[in-house]
This record gives sequence, structure tokens and C-alpha cells, in this order.
Amino acid sequence: MKNFEHINAPDLETAIALLQEPSAKAIAGGTDLLTEMKDRIQTPALLVNLKAIPDLKFIKEDEKFVRIGALTTLSDLECHPLIRERYPILAQAASLAATPQLRNAGTVAGNLLQRVRCWYYRHPDVNCWLKGGVECYAEEGVNARHAIFGSSPCIAVHPSDLAPALIALDAQVRVVGPEADGELALEEIYRLPDEGLRERMVLGPADLIAEILVPKRPESSRGVFLKAMERATWSFALVSVAVQIDFDGEHVKNARMVLGGVAGKPWRVREAEKLLEGQALTEELAQQVAEAAVAGAQPRAYNAYKIPLTKNLVKRALQKLAG
Amino acid sequence: MPRVVKTQVEFEGRFYDEYVVIEGEDVPPWSAQQEFSVVGQPQTRIDGVERVTGAAKFTHDIQLPGMLYGKILRCPHPHARIKNINTKEAERLPGVRAILHSANIPKIPWRMGLTLLFDQTLRYAGEEVACVIADEEEICEDARELIEVEYEVLPFVLDPLKALEPKAPKVHESGNLFHNEPEIYERGDIQKGFSSADVTIEGTFRTQTALHNCMETHGSVALWEGDALTIWDSTQHIFGVRDVVAQALGLPKHKIRVIKQYMGGGFGSKNSAGKYTVMAALAAKMTGRPVKIILDRHEENLAAGNRPASIQTLKIGAKRDGRLTAIYHKSVVNVGAYATWGGGTTGPTRRLYACPNMKTEDYSVFTHLGPYSAFRAPGYVEGTFALESMMDELAKKLRIDPLELRLRNYAESDPATGWPYTTKGLRQAYHRGAELIDWQGREAFKRKYSTHTKKIGFGMASQIWGGSGGPPAYALVKINPDGTAVVVTGTQDIGTGTKTALAQIAAEALHFPISSVKVELGDTQLGVYSPLSAGSMTLASVGPAVRVASEEARKQLLDVGAQTLEVPREELEIEQGEFLNRRTRERTPVKAIFEKLENFMIIGRGARGPNPEKKSVNTFGAQFAQVEVDTETGRVTVQKIVAVHESGRVINPLTITSQLEGGIIQGVGFALTERRLVDERTGLVLNASLETYKVPTVQDVPEIVAEMVNLPDPEVNNLGVKGVGEPPIIPTAAAIANAVADALGSRIYDLPLTLDRVLTTRELP
Repeated sequence: MKNFEHINAPDLETAIALLQEPSAKAIAGGTDLLTEMKDRIQTPALLVNLKAIPDLKFIKEDEKFVRIGALTTLSDLECHPLIRERYPILAQAASLAATPQLRNAGTVAGNLLQRVRCWYYRHPDVNCWLKGGVECYAEEGVNARHAIFGSSPCIAVHPSDLAPALIALDAQVRVVGPEADGELALEEIYRLPDEGLRERMVLGPADLIAEILVPKRPESSRGVFLKAMERATWSFALVSVAVQIDFDGEHVKNARMVLGGVAGKPWRVREAEKLLEGQALTEELAQQVAEAAVAGAQPRAYNAYKIPLTKNLVKRALQKLAG
Repeated sequence: MPRVVKTQVEFEGRFYDEYVVIEGEDVPPWSAQQEFSVVGQPQTRIDGVERVTGAAKFTHDIQLPGMLYGKILRCPHPHARIKNINTKEAERLPGVRAILHSANIPKIPWRMGLTLLFDQTLRYAGEEVACVIADEEEICEDARELIEVEYEVLPFVLDPLKALEPKAPKVHESGNLFHNEPEIYERGDIQKGFSSADVTIEGTFRTQTALHNCMETHGSVALWEGDALTIWDSTQHIFGVRDVVAQALGLPKHKIRVIKQYMGGGFGSKNSAGKYTVMAALAAKMTGRPVKIILDRHEENLAAGNRPASIQTLKIGAKRDGRLTAIYHKSVVNVGAYATWGGGTTGPTRRLYACPNMKTEDYSVFTHLGPYSAFRAPGYVEGTFALESMMDELAKKLRIDPLELRLRNYAESDPATGWPYTTKGLRQAYHRGAELIDWQGREAFKRKYSTHTKKIGFGMASQIWGGSGGPPAYALVKINPDGTAVVVTGTQDIGTGTKTALAQIAAEALHFPISSVKVELGDTQLGVYSPLSAGSMTLASVGPAVRVASEEARKQLLDVGAQTLEVPREELEIEQGEFLNRRTRERTPVKAIFEKLENFMIIGRGARGPNPEKKSVNTFGAQFAQVEVDTETGRVTVQKIVAVHESGRVINPLTITSQLEGGIIQGVGFALTERRLVDERTGLVLNASLETYKVPTVQDVPEIVAEMVNLPDPEVNNLGVKGVGEPPIIPTAAAIANAVADALGSRIYDLPLTLDRVLTTRELP
């Protein structure tokens, strides 16, 4: 690891001011940043520690939202009775991420802002396009873990488990910082990198997520998060599916479906959502929705398996919600 | 008087003739009816407290005053020549003490002269270019970035079949085929065998490159005191490290002391000294300070060895009743950039079944990839997967139960040599395993618990391996004036529980309680040679020497005791570490005798005797797997493994169960998730971390039912023990593959059985 300076920010304002220094990075749980620093993928000169900022670690509710503080850990989220009871989709997503040790350290905001796991990006000897090089090595290389949706010079997938679940819940984030300030739909902070900006976030380096706002759902709402992994645990999603449906009796009133592990950002499948609306969940409908979910998918040399995997997970998710 | 004996020694499936010196008389083997008080009892590790409290010192824990650190700069190209290396900037960095590289270090031959310690030609991405020595590891890393290396990038080849083509880039001047020819074995008449067959089947299997990922990475600490060198090394062979370093540095062996007290795994990857060992010794000499070089996980997975990938074609001919008439087995193994021995996989084919006609061909092919090393039963895990998969295909074709097919081809004597086995408990293992998994009831179980998306399957596979151990191995047993005993050997405990098992043997033979027995090992300075801890040979080599030494020490103790107590020798015995007068039932503590004898110390000496001549010593076993395949996600879940093995007498049921479980878990990883991925265009390893290289987690571990056929071998050695380190990993992947084929109704011919393969897609490189 390269030498760096470390400052405990006492409050968000100070943190934001410090983060405007070039080569400054915010650190909370550090479960992503430290691994990049050890491999010298990132070499910040200054780390601004957010963990000392009071009042950013909470799960509470008001009239419209359940509010989750940025420094809330994944373990907190996974174990909180309110989340388990009313947003099982979120508890499931949190519990399937990483390992208990990592979940004890990793924060919710950090999870939403984590960098891609592409093995070319993470390789110390590869200067890929995302790191400022000229070429995406995965495009012609071992792209088994890469995108089947979206068009970008970088085909790495967004690795978060929480993001698809939170977007399925229509969550917003409250952002503070020089470039973005106020409440944004979580879905809107993600973008596909392009030649103009090799970033996955619309947020600037000094913009911080302060809290996540999850709208309250009607009693009839049910959600599920499913994740395919190479082994039983401690793996990023090969494919994940987050579905949240508000029911009207047996019929779908309103559905949101978001896929993880298949695109450079959490991938919302609106066509599939539309098919669901007003319908009762049947085997036949599940099949149609599954087909719609992968419409337009473009497999690469080694990731064609993601298409049947996505379809099957979508079907399984809908079966669970029907049952 | 020492006797010089010529004997045949088996190591990892290969046989070597050796001259060894045997001292003293061997003792008769313990009989099958022998009753024991310590041996065969479940004994917790005598060093368990040190391990769990952190008191145990591993190589990584060694901290010496003034110690410097070393970090290695590695080549980012699969094939390149160093045109120029400039270290000026790096040397200027405060805290940098030395930079070792090809221009300032003498040419030290490495890997049997195929390369040098610092070679100017680099043959795989990750090969050593330079080594920075500095006050801190971080300074080493900073300096490493400042070294400017100008490479001439050369053409490379990664695929072993392409490497065999005439115009392929050459890894070595002598060509890309190890020894320039395949290793061929034949018996009977293969043509006749196939023409007399009623059915013939053929298949091609591919196995992946697997990485050891020992918990403790490779590393060394070197300290010079005058002209004497001490090395702490994470190794399976302290004497081997001594010899390699002595040769590399031109030092007399007696000037080098190698220590390894505790180790976090080796699995075959730590059978010798590493380049880091010699670099640490050189750097410590240059700087006059102790130097520590520990590989990180990334380097470990580039340069510390692997189980090499194989492409195996098997053709089997059989009679309608299942009797094998012929087997042809061709194997191409990608050994990477260097090899000092052939990496064949056909061993199990040659030796498992009574098949009269056979031909096997093993091609070990050099490519521009990280070199292979031994990995727990090298060749046998891969070969057993191919052979036992094919046996199941034959069973399916002939509509014979897979277990019955194996029993019909049971080898009553060694099919390769015609020699009888000293013992063979495979039939018992088959029957007991079938009983434990309810093999006969499996179809009913499948019908009951399979759904349309979750398919249950059952499979089994057999295991053959050596594991006889053999000479030379020596031990001393000392009895201290305080009535305690010390076993002294030059072996090392690589985490298997060697220390505990040797203490049990000594306690049994001395008639001492195990709490009075201490074991000293892992230090060449102890002066008592023992072989490397590999090839499932430690206990079967060293254990018998410890027993001889203990018996001799006990005899001496009785001689001294009888004279001191002034009673007839035959009236005296040792019980629970005390003298017992058989006539009077009077007990005398050993300590009480020694009090009259100043500081006298009893020393018993023992040597391992030769193995029996014209007999085959093998270990056997059978494993049965129950899996569930999720046909929607492609995920294979191993629900249960039943393992029944025969490795002679069981010394410690607790540590042997640990060995079985560990081997099976490693086998589950090989079967399902572990594979090194390499980028075809750059030759770089893509998943050299524990996040991306998927070893099984605790949640992936199935229910394991492990048993031994406790069958003391009356001929192999005076304990009746054979090795058990490697056997449990051998049949696991094959049994799982057979269970998955049973669940799916069709076979996947390649490992690992990842979900993308189950869902069918293009193969990964």
C-alpha cells in the first residue's frame, strides 16, 4: 500500500471540503477501497474518514420513508426487525452479500458506490480503458462475469446486491456535495461510462450520500431478491433479480424488477414490469416475463449462460411471489 | 553395526531404487490383536493449545532485531527477455538497502538448470525479475515501482496442444515436450484386447489448473551469524531446503540450519526451497541484516505451483459381463514453464483394475505459464476423474451397477507388477461405503426427493495410491532424568498432526503416559534425518523409527532400573511411566532411579527398515457422493460424501478424520468451483486472489461420513501403518462427477462442474 494521510472528518461539511483536494478519497468501511489500495489500483494521498461523523448510522422511519443512514452497516440492515419484516427483499440482499466479517464493516452507502470487480480492472498489470487505457480487455478476453446488456466501452457489471433491491423499492438517496445536492432517485445516480466520462456515477468525488430513503409500501406489497453465485457464499452475483410487487388482491398493481450482475449499472427491466401490471401471477405469465427480461441481451464469448440463468431466476422470483 | 540396504522406494506413484543405511534391529510388527493404551485412541493434538492461542510460531511470525524485508518484482509478460534494467531511482529511495537482479547476482542454476535464480529470459507472467530489500514492505513496493525494466517481448504459447505444433514458440531450446518424448507404458496386447471386446467406449476429459492456496503463503527468513546461516522456511522438507541452499550458495551443508516449527499448509507446493529462500539468504549476506521474504496471495498464485491442467482421452474395451479387456489412456498435461519430473495422470489406470491389455501415454508439455508442482496426489486426482467417469459410462452402457462393475474388475494382485499386495482393504471399503450411503436404496431416494428443477444424483469412485513410506528415516528417543521422554526426529509437522501421532507411538512403546512425551522436530540442527513430508509418507517412514528408538530406550531403562533397584530384570516392567515390580506390585517412579545416577540420560536410536520385497504396498478407498443439481441455476450442491479408506493401522482416529475431511473439502473445490483463469491474449492470470479463485467456504462443505477400514498391514513396517495424506482427495471429484451425471442423465466431461457448464455454454480457457 502506498503511504497516505488519514483525517477523521468531524462532520459532512468538513468531509466535503477535504474531498475537494485532488487525490483525496472518502473511506467508510473500506472493504472495497483498501483492497484497491493494496493492489495500487487506487493510490489516494489523503483518506477522509467518514466513520467519525455522528448521526449517519441509523434505521428509522417517518411518515413517508424508512430512512437508512449512510454509515449503517450491511449487518445492521440484515438484522434490523423493521427491514426484515417490511422489506424482506432488502434483508435478503444484505444477507447474501459478501461474508459476515465484510458485512460488519461495509456500509450501505459504500456498497452502493463500490467499484467494479472486473478481473482486468482489478489486475495490477492491466491498464484497461476504465483505468485510463485504450482498450477494454474483457471485450475479447475472459468475459464470463461481464455484461449482457448496455452499450459502453467498459463491459464490467455493477457488483452491488443492495442497489437492485433498493431500486426495486424505488429508493431515493439524499446527496450532499458540490456537484449534486438534494434528493435523487437511486436509479438516477448510475450511468454507463462513456468516452466523455469514465465513471459509473453521476456523483462527483466530493459528493456524499448522507442517507437512503425507502418509500413505505402498501400492506399488499411483496418483494424477493435472488442471487446466483458460483459457491454458497462470498461471491458477487453472477446474476441477481430483485422484484417488488404491490398487489391488488391476486393481481399485480405495480411491479418493479431490477437485475444485478448483467450490466454496467443496476438493470431495470421496464418491459417485464409492464407485462406484469394488472395480471395475476401464473406460470405462463412468468415465462413471458422471463423472456421479456432478457430481450435485447447480447451474450459475449463466455457469458451466454447468463441468459438462461436470468430467465430462470426471474421465473423463480415470480413463483415465490405467487406462492 | 550399520547395514547398507538397496531398496525400492515409492514416491507419489513413481518407484526409485535407493541405498539406505539401517541401524540396529527392527522390531516385529504389532499384531492385529495387539491391545493398546495410546495408539488407536482419539488423541487431541499435543500442540493444540499453542495453535489456538497463537503461541505457535509460523514462518510468517518470525521477527528478528534489525530485520529487513524483501519484495519481488515479477515479469508482466508471458515470454520476454530483459534488455536493460535500471534500479538507480529505486535505490535512491530512503530505506532501500539492496536490489538483487540478473546484472548483480551470479548465475545460480535453478530448476535443474532450465533457468537461473535471476534469468534474463522470462518464461511466464509472474517470473522473478528483481528483489528489493528495504526497511519496510511498503518501501519495497514503492521502490519496485521505480525499477525500470526494458523488455523484449517474445512470442508465447499457452495451450499445450498448440505448443506441440512444430512452429510453436519454444519455451526451452530443447523443445516443448518434456524429455522430448511421451512416457509410454504397455502391457499385454492392446489390439487383441480391443478386438476381443464386446463393447468399446471412448471419451475425452479436461481438467483445470488448480491452485494450492495454502493458508500460509510461501516465505523465508534468513539470518547470518558469522559464516553460519539459519533459515526459517515454510516448507515440507527442511533437509531439502538445506541442500538446495547449500548448492545454490556453494556452502557446506553443516553451515546451514533450517527451521520450520509450524506451517499453514503445503499440499505439495512446499517440497523444496523457493527462489525467495535463496534471495533472502543472499540479501541477508549482502546487507548484514536478517531478511524476510513472504509471498503475497497474488504472487503465491502466479509462482508457487499448481495442479496442472490435463486433456485425457480414454478408450475402454470390455466383455458383456463387464470384464475389462483393454484400456488406452492418453494424457496431455500443461506443466507450464518448468518441470523436473513428468506430470502424468495415467497412474490409476495402470494400477486400479485387473485389465490385461493396456497402453498409456503421458505427454508433459511446456507452455508460457506458471510452473506446476506436486499438489496432493499429483496426477491421481485428474486420472481417477477420467478413469472412474469412464467406468460409470461403461456401467451405463452394459446396464451393470457401477459398484458391481468395479467388483468384477477387482485386482487381487498388482496388475502392473503381478506382485501380491501386503494388504488390500478396497472390497471392505466398497461394501461399507455402499452400506453407509444406502447405495441399494438410491433410486427410491432420488424418486422421493428430486423435483422437476432439483435433481438428486448418486455416484461413487475408487482410490488407489502408494503411501508405504520407507527408509531412510531415523529417530532418537531420550529419557530425561525427570522421567519424561523426548522424541527427536528431523521430520516436520506440516499441519497433519505428525507430532501427536509420533508422541502416541513413543508413549505406547515406552509404556509412558502421553503427557510425559515431548516431540522435537522441524529443525535440521537436531541432526536426525527424516524425509520430506509428501507422498503420504511421513508417519509410515518416521513412525517405525520412533517405535524402534522407544523400544530400545525402554530396554535400557529396564536394565538401569533393575540394577539400581537390585531386582531381577525379568521381574521389572514399565507401566504408566513408572517401574512396576511384577512380583511385589511395588511401583517406583523413574525419577527416583535417576536421582541416584547423576545426570545420566537414556538415548534410544531407531531407523526405518526396508519395505518388503516383491510386494506391492498400496492404500485404497472408496467414496460415494450424493448431489443435488439445480437445473435452473446450474448450481451443484454436494449434499453428502461417504468416504471409507484403508491405510493400514489407524494411529489416531481424530487426526485421520481431519485428513479425510480436509482432502474431501479440497476435492469438492476441485470438482465444482476452483480453476485458474488465464487471459489468452496477455498470458496473465486473472483470478489470483481468494475472492476470485473459488475455494469452498464452510457453507459449501457437505455432510461428511468418514471411516477407516482399520487393517493393520503385517508387512509394510513395524506399526502396520500406511499413509493417508493424499488418498482422501483422490476419488472425490470423480464421485461427484458421477453423481452429477446420474442426476442430469448426461455427462459433463470437463472439470470443474461450474454452473455455466451445467447451463451449457462455451468453455472457459
